[in-house]
Amino acid sequence: MSAAALEINGLRFRYRAAAEAVVSIDRFLLGSGEACLLRAGSGRGKSTLLNLVAGLLEPESGVVRVDGIDLFALGPGKRDAFRGSKIGMIFQTLNLLAGFSAAENVMAALMVSGVPRAEHRDRAVETLRRLGIETPDREATALSVGQQQRVAVARAIVTQPVLVLADEPTASLDPENAENALDLIRSACEEAGAALLLTSHDPATARGFERVVSLDSLAPHTAGSH
Amino acid sequence: MAMTDGTIVARSLGSRLFSTATTVVTVAVAVGLMLTLLSMRDSSRRAFERGAGSTQLLISRDASPLVSVLNGIFYANPPADDLTLAEYNTIASLPNEFAIPTQLGDSFRGLPVLATTAEFFSRFVPAFDPDTGASTPWVVAEGRVFDRPFEVVLGARAAKGTGLVVGDEISLYHGFPRSRRAAATDGGGDDPHVHDEYRYRVVGILEATGTPHDRALFTDLPSSWVLHAHDRRRDAAPIEERASLTTTVDDITDDDKRITGVLYRAPSRGGGLGGSSAFIFTVRDELQKRDPSLTIAEPSNEVRGLFEIVGDIDQILVAMSAVVMLSSAIGIMLALYNSMEQRRRQIAILRVLGFARGRVFGLVVTESAVIGAAGAVIGVGLALLGTNAVADVLKAELGLVIEPVFTPRWTMLVAMSSVAMSSVAGVVPALVAYRTPVAQHLKPLG
Repeated sequence: MSAAALEINGLRFRYRAAAEAVVSIDRFLLGSGEACLLRAGSGRGKSTLLNLVAGLLEPESGVVRVDGIDLFALGPGKRDAFRGSKIGMIFQTLNLLAGFSAAENVMAALMVSGVPRAEHRDRAVETLRRLGIETPDREATALSVGQQQRVAVARAIVTQPVLVLADEPTASLDPENAENALDLIRSACEEAGAALLLTSHDPATARGFERVVSLDSLAPHTAGSH
Repeated sequence: MAMTDGTIVARSLGSRLFSTATTVVTVAVAVGLMLTLLSMRDSSRRAFERGAGSTQLLISRDASPLVSVLNGIFYANPPADDLTLAEYNTIASLPNEFAIPTQLGDSFRGLPVLATTAEFFSRFVPAFDPDTGASTPWVVAEGRVFDRPFEVVLGARAAKGTGLVVGDEISLYHGFPRSRRAAATDGGGDDPHVHDEYRYRVVGILEATGTPHDRALFTDLPSSWVLHAHDRRRDAAPIEERASLTTTVDDITDDDKRITGVLYRAPSRGGGLGGSSAFIFTVRDELQKRDPSLTIAEPSNEVRGLFEIVGDIDQILVAMSAVVMLSSAIGIMLALYNSMEQRRRQIAILRVLGFARGRVFGLVVTESAVIGAAGAVIGVGLALLGTNAVADVLKAELGLVIEPVFTPRWTMLVAMSSVAMSSVAGVVPALVAYRTPVAQHLKPLG
C-alpha cells in the first residue's frame, strides 16, 4: 500500500508569546494525488499549518509525515532537501524571484531536487510551456499577473512533488481569475500526480474540490471531515 | 543555461549595481594603494641602489659613509672636506678596475657640476642593478665627452632643464646654492659666486641613465682646479690687481689639486659587473689602516641602510593602506547588511525551494568574496597603472628611473587578503540571511 501524501497526528503549534495553540490538529490524512480544500477564516492558522507541513516551522508536538517520511525526525538540512524535492508551494503573493526570468524561477526549484543539472532548463521550459508560458526568458515579474501565477504553479510542480501546498492562492484575484487560477492549480497537480492541500477563507473556492475540510473541525475535540 | 548558485550571486550583485560597483571600487582602490606602496617601496630601493652604478667603494672625507653616498652619488651637498692628490695616488696605487677622482663644489643654475677624468665615462658604469645584473652604460646622445679644459658635458636632465645645446658657452658657480633655511641656520657663510671670467663650452649631451647623474654637468678636474687657484690668487692679490688677474692651468699648485671623492672598483676575474669581490674588504681594511680618517662607503650597503632607516615610514604607509583595506571590508559588510532587509523575501523563497540555511549563508559570503575578488583584480590593474604613472613622474621630475616590480608573492598575498577580508565581512550579513525567519517573510506585503 502506498503511503499517504500527507499524514498529520497530534500536531500542536503555538507562537512563543501566545497563550493558546494556533494550530491544533488531532489527525489528518491526504491521499496520494488527492486534492483538498482547507477552509478557515482569516488569522485562524491556515498559513501556519502549511508552514508546519512544509517543515518551515517546528511544532510543539505531533507528527507530520509526507510520503511516509516523518519531517521532524529529519535534521534541518535533510528536511530542507526533502522539502525541495517532495513539496511544492504556491503563495497568495506568488513570491517569484525578482530579477530572474520565468525559466530561472522554475529552475531555482530544481536546484535542490536531485534532478541532474543538465536537464533543468529543458524541464523548466517544458513545464512552463505546458502551462501556457511561451516566453520563458522574460523576467518573471514583468509578466502579467495571470502569467506570473502560471510561473508560480510551474515552480511548484516542476520537481514532480508528492504534495503541493497552496496558501490562499486566489485571495487577491477577482472571481473570474480566481476560478481560472484554481482550475490551473488543480489540473497541474493532477497532471503531475501531486496531492494538493489548498487553503482559503473564501467559500466560493470550494467548487471543484471533492474534499473540503474546515480547519476548526480538525481540532482534537471536533476531529472529522466534511 | 542551468541556474546555479553563481547565477543567484551574480543577479543579486547586479540588482544592486551602484552599490556593488562603488564597493568594488573601494576595494580596488585599497588593493591598488597597498600594491603600489609595496611595489614602489621595493622598486625605489632598487632604483637608488642602481644609482650607485658600478662603484664598489666611495672614498671621501665626509662625516659618515651615508653622508658620503648622499653627497658623492646623489649630489645632495658638496662634501665638507677633501682629499689631496697625493692621497688619491695612494688609493689609486691599490689594484683596481678603476679609481676615478671626483670633485664636487661647483654648480650651474643649481645643478651640480662634477669635475672628474675621462675614465668616468670609459670605465664607470652609471647604472647597475645588483639584483638583476642589468646595467646602463654612458651613451653620448650628442657631441662628445670633454677632452680638454673648460669643456662641459651635460647629463640628460641637466640639458633638458637648462635648454643648453652643444656649442653653448656657460660660466659656472663656485659653490652650491643653498636654501634660505640653510643660510639662516648656518649664519650665511660664503655665497656661491659666478666665475664669469671662465667660459665653459658645452661639448656633449648624455643619454638618460635614470640615475642622479642625469641632472649633473661634467667637466675635467684641471678646469675646476683653475677656479680654485684663481680664488686663492685673487684673495692674495692687491685689490687693484684683482680685476685683471688671470689664472691658467700653469698657476695650479699641488695644494689646489684637491678632490672630494674617489670612485673605486676592485679588479674582477671575469671582468663583469656582477658578483661581489672579497678583495673589496681587503682594500677597505688596507685604506682604513693607512688613513683612519678616510670615510669608506659601500654605496649599495649605505642605500640599503638608508631604506632600513626610513623603513618605519614604509611600515606606517603600509599599515595605513591596510586600514584602508579594512575600511573597504567594512564598506562591503555595510552594503550587504543594508541590502538584507530588501532581500529577506528572496532568501525566504530560496529556503522554501529547499535551500538549506548553510547554503544561503554561503551565497551571501560568496557575494562578499566576489566583491573582494573583483576589487582585487581591478586593484592590481590600478596598481599597474598607478605605479607606472608614479614612475613616469619620478623619471620626468627627478630623473629617477623606477621600474615597478610586482612580486607574484606580494600580489597574490594582497589579492587573497582582499578576498579573505571581504569574505569575513560577509559573515555578519550572511548570519542575518541564515537567521531569516522564513514563514514571516512569505506573508503578503502590507
